[in-house]
Amino acid sequence: MKKVLSLILALSMMLGVVSFASAEEALPTFDKIVLGENTDLTAKIHFAYHRTDLGGEDGKLAGYVKKFNETYPNIEIEYELITDYAENALLRVGNTDWTIMGIPAVDQDELSKYFIPLGDLETMSGLYNFVSAKAYDGVCYGIPSTGGANGLVYNKRIFAEAGITELPKTPDEFIAALKAVKEKTDAIPLYTNYAAGWTMGAWDDYISGCATGSATFQNQDMLHMKDPFANRGDGTGPYAVYKILYDAVKEGLIEEDYTTTDWEGCKPMMNNGQIATMVLGSWAYTQMRDAIGGNHPEDVGYMAFPITVNGKQYAPAGGDYNFGINVKASYEEKLASLYYLKWLTHESGFAYSEGGVPINKGGEMPDLYAAFDGIEMVEQAPAVAGEETLLNELNSESELNINNGGNIKVQQIVEHAFNGDMEFDEIMASWNEAWSDAQETLGVEVNK
Amino acid sequence: MSITRAVQPDLRKKRVNWQKVAVILLFAIVPMFLLILFTYIPFIKMIQFSFYNMSYTKNRGFVGLDNYLKVFSKSEYVGAMLLSLYYMAGAVVQLSLALLFASILSLERIRGAGIYKAILFFPFLVNGIAIGYIFKYFYTRGFVLDSVLQAIGIPLEKLPYWLRDQSVNNWSLVFTSVWKYCGQNMVLFIGAIASIDPTLYEAATIDGANRWEQFKAIILPGIKTVFMLNLILSITGSLSAFEPAYVVGSMGANGTATFFIKIHQMAHVSGKVGMACAMAMVLMVLILIFTVLQRLFFRYVMRDSDNTFNAKANQAKALW
Repeated sequence: MKKVLSLILALSMMLGVVSFASAEEALPTFDKIVLGENTDLTAKIHFAYHRTDLGGEDGKLAGYVKKFNETYPNIEIEYELITDYAENALLRVGNTDWTIMGIPAVDQDELSKYFIPLGDLETMSGLYNFVSAKAYDGVCYGIPSTGGANGLVYNKRIFAEAGITELPKTPDEFIAALKAVKEKTDAIPLYTNYAAGWTMGAWDDYISGCATGSATFQNQDMLHMKDPFANRGDGTGPYAVYKILYDAVKEGLIEEDYTTTDWEGCKPMMNNGQIATMVLGSWAYTQMRDAIGGNHPEDVGYMAFPITVNGKQYAPAGGDYNFGINVKASYEEKLASLYYLKWLTHESGFAYSEGGVPINKGGEMPDLYAAFDGIEMVEQAPAVAGEETLLNELNSESELNINNGGNIKVQQIVEHAFNGDMEFDEIMASWNEAWSDAQETLGVEVNK
Repeated sequence: MSITRAVQPDLRKKRVNWQKVAVILLFAIVPMFLLILFTYIPFIKMIQFSFYNMSYTKNRGFVGLDNYLKVFSKSEYVGAMLLSLYYMAGAVVQLSLALLFASILSLERIRGAGIYKAILFFPFLVNGIAIGYIFKYFYTRGFVLDSVLQAIGIPLEKLPYWLRDQSVNNWSLVFTSVWKYCGQNMVLFIGAIASIDPTLYEAATIDGANRWEQFKAIILPGIKTVFMLNLILSITGSLSAFEPAYVVGSMGANGTATFFIKIHQMAHVSGKVGMACAMAMVLMVLILIFTVLQRLFFRYVMRDSDNTFNAKANQAKALW
């Protein structure tokens, strides 16, 4: 018995020494990792991953491992592809049976319990997109492999025919462009897709990061904001987003009969130049381009939403899972993981081949984002601890349902603009009132 | 002997009764269980929920009559209730048309009456969602309806946008509802008319009554029950109209959201279950009120015609 006890004691002391030792040797931050150094590094990485479609011996992942091993032959990488990733990863996040995993839905303030810091957020977000999603207290814990950003679909040929040489960057420029389209071409300047409903709710996506440039607007700031829909006076904010729609309708820049729009039918219309613009997420681009009955796939383009905040344009965006490295792994494993993540980010070309936004800024953009040069991608950070459900509750209580199926309120903008029975400022005032009432009902602290 | 004789039938009787009771109970238990489980318990729960501020996952406590007060204080809900008036007007047209077709098809000898019946009844068999899509294209600018109207010489510029213009869009939706349910009402009327004793017509003809008088004095009183049934169904249907506005009117957009659609939005888009339950309760009470009012009204009106009917019938019989 004593022997066993002393053995345990000795072992735990050894472990203590080991962990003490590895803590002493400071890991380099992600940005300081230089590929091609430390090529004799020996470690084993267990990578928990959600993209089950990329596995197999000839799969993309196997190819990446092979290529990475050309430079780092002694780093062994083993992928574990998990179908029910979100739950599985959340259960295992505290274990030691993984080295790298896509960070599941743990609370932001618990990130440091499970993952090593990759660097301070300021440096990281200067170099990489979508790193703020898994950051806490100015420290970044994860880096994704690919991302997507939203803007609006437009027809390049129609824009050229209308004499629009530079893509509009502000609401005023956009309305002017729509007017030019109406004057000089036969195309519908802006197709609302009013009848489908959800296509109208898509406008909500632009009010946060895109219209404010802030990564905390939707899930943090707006919850405590007094009158989030108020006119900011400088063509930014949620007000400016919906104002574009209102003005376009009022100026007759949309389809004639918005109540009978046809979602399937609009795709070839966009492709063939019967429609100039449509406000939809980037996923819609390929659908318009490859539409059945469309003869001009090369004319379909994608541009940033026309709002400029302090001279800069932003695009609402989101990354895939951010990869984090297990804080309980050995020093070598951590270092090897850093090299592999760096390689994935810079050398693999994964984002490009997946048609997504590259993670390293300045990386190659797929065709879809040809017009996104110089536009900053903003991802909405999650809510702070204790307020995870507050947005949902405010949405429900106010019945505005922002980014949550609130199609009716956007449809009503079209109706009021067309019938001229309600000024835009009145609509926004009624939304502000609904929001304030909801805040009051739920006892939310409101910043003046 | 006599004792056994007296007892035996009693025993037999009892045994038979037990079997009967067991069978009745067994047969009744399943539907009763289902009825209670899926109708009465949810209904009682709905009444309970209507007094709470709650979503599907969270209950924020008892709010008394707040939900009900909101239903009546918000103009959008009252407006949604008033939309039922369009559908009620439609119901009147629908019943009149159905009665007209039914009388013509029953009284006159028309070649191919069966085909006409089938054609008129057919829309009722089509799924409501499909009807929605049919009418979406029917009303689209320059499509079916506009082409037909243009063909008879009305220029396109003079035609309204059937779904966009708020002055006509609810009528457009009501028309789809009339189109669908008219045939069903007609078939019920035809059934009722067929059950009237044909000798009454002969008697009336001998009396010198024309078609209109026959209709007024024989058919109308004869189909009273079915007429009431159709009317109640149409009025309650008008109060809880949903399909046309949901499918043709893009989920109740552009001022076509009926009260039923508002309930749906409240519960399934905004997730305010308590509020939606209160609205459903209000709708139920409204339907009850309308049903009672109708009964009272027609008891008053029909009593008169009932007497005339009986008088005429007696007259006819007396003649024979």
